[in-house]
Amino acid sequence: MDVFEAIKNRRSVRHYKPDPVDDDTVAKVLEAAHWAPSWGNTQSWRFIVVRDAAIRAQVADTLRLVRVDNEWVENAASKAIKQAPVLVVICAEKGRAGYAPDGAPVTDKGEYWYMFDIALAVENLTLAAYALGLGTVIIGGFDAVKAAQILEVPDDCRVVTLTPLGVPERQGQVSPRKKLAEVTYHDKYNK
Amino acid sequence: MELFDAIYHRRSIRKYKPDPVDKATVEKILEAGRWAPSWANTQCSRFVVVRDPEVKTALAESLMKIKLPDRELENPAAKAFRTVPVVIVVAAKTGTAGAKPGGGFTTDKGDWFMHDTALATQNMVLAAHALGLGTVIIGAFDAKKAEAALNIPEDYRVVVMFPLGVPDQEGKAPPRKELSELVIRDKWD
Repeated sequence: MDVFEAIKNRRSVRHYKPDPVDDDTVAKVLEAAHWAPSWGNTQSWRFIVVRDAAIRAQVADTLRLVRVDNEWVENAASKAIKQAPVLVVICAEKGRAGYAPDGAPVTDKGEYWYMFDIALAVENLTLAAYALGLGTVIIGGFDAVKAAQILEVPDDCRVVTLTPLGVPERQGQVSPRKKLAEVTYHDKYNK
Repeated sequence: MELFDAIYHRRSIRKYKPDPVDKATVEKILEAGRWAPSWANTQCSRFVVVRDPEVKTALAESLMKIKLPDRELENPAAKAFRTVPVVIVVAAKTGTAGAKPGGGFTTDKGDWFMHDTALATQNMVLAAHALGLGTVIIGAFDAKKAEAALNIPEDYRVVVMFPLGVPDQEGKAPPRKELSELVIRDKWD
């Protein structure tokens, strides 16, 4: 699939078929993620591939509830995690991205470069999945500490985002985007 | 260009030709950034297209020096900033990605602007590569200096910058860990 086609037509998918996704396909998607650039080539990303339905359900329950008509209901993404055969949990090794070799943070962003590097990899992951006919939805709104306990993630890593990986039952909708002119400036911010 | 080709063959480019890059090409790249997903579609990413040589120089001067035991070297990206016709600055409106409607943030990560600007940045570096242009994502600079040079308002932050131009080198792929070193099945142990 053409790069621009993938970038423009990828959607966040919240409804999945239970159809299987084989290990080779998962490996292709993760390989694409791993080819993202990273701070000083630190490659701080780690991927947990969860197929176990019980573990997926436990992680799904760490998502925030959403309020609909004054009632708290399960997030559509929680259902998606239970439906899709694979859940990818993306973790970051702490103290790598954004740090000098002597262990001191380099910039005013401090430790938060792990958020940046993880997202470079996650964008590749979602594009690659789409090109292979699979859906994803990047989820950040969950209790990461609980998820880390469920997945037995060691203290030197943090859970950052999750995505189900599976065959879309229906394509996601296009979220309206701001016009390019609304987000672009020339030479300086006020121009 | 085929997506996987772009993902596997994009390299960080530090040497550029001074050849021009036209406005339509820059727009195609920004358009790719604009289509990245974002937290609840908050779209916090902003792009500053810098062509003015004085502003480019100011940005080059904000880059951190490389410290050697006996001296400091200019970051090779600083030279690239002066050579290329365009530097793209990726900034973020703070207090939107990951924010609660009533104030404060939803998760233990606080503001998700670092995450969402990276989703957009990755699309842009892939798009640039597909169009035959080089980039290198730079995060190690004095953001206060860069923000001053660009008149960035207080509720916005500059996150990364990248030169955009015709490569004058074959970039090298830095060695990657084996995928098996990074992938865990079901639970960590």
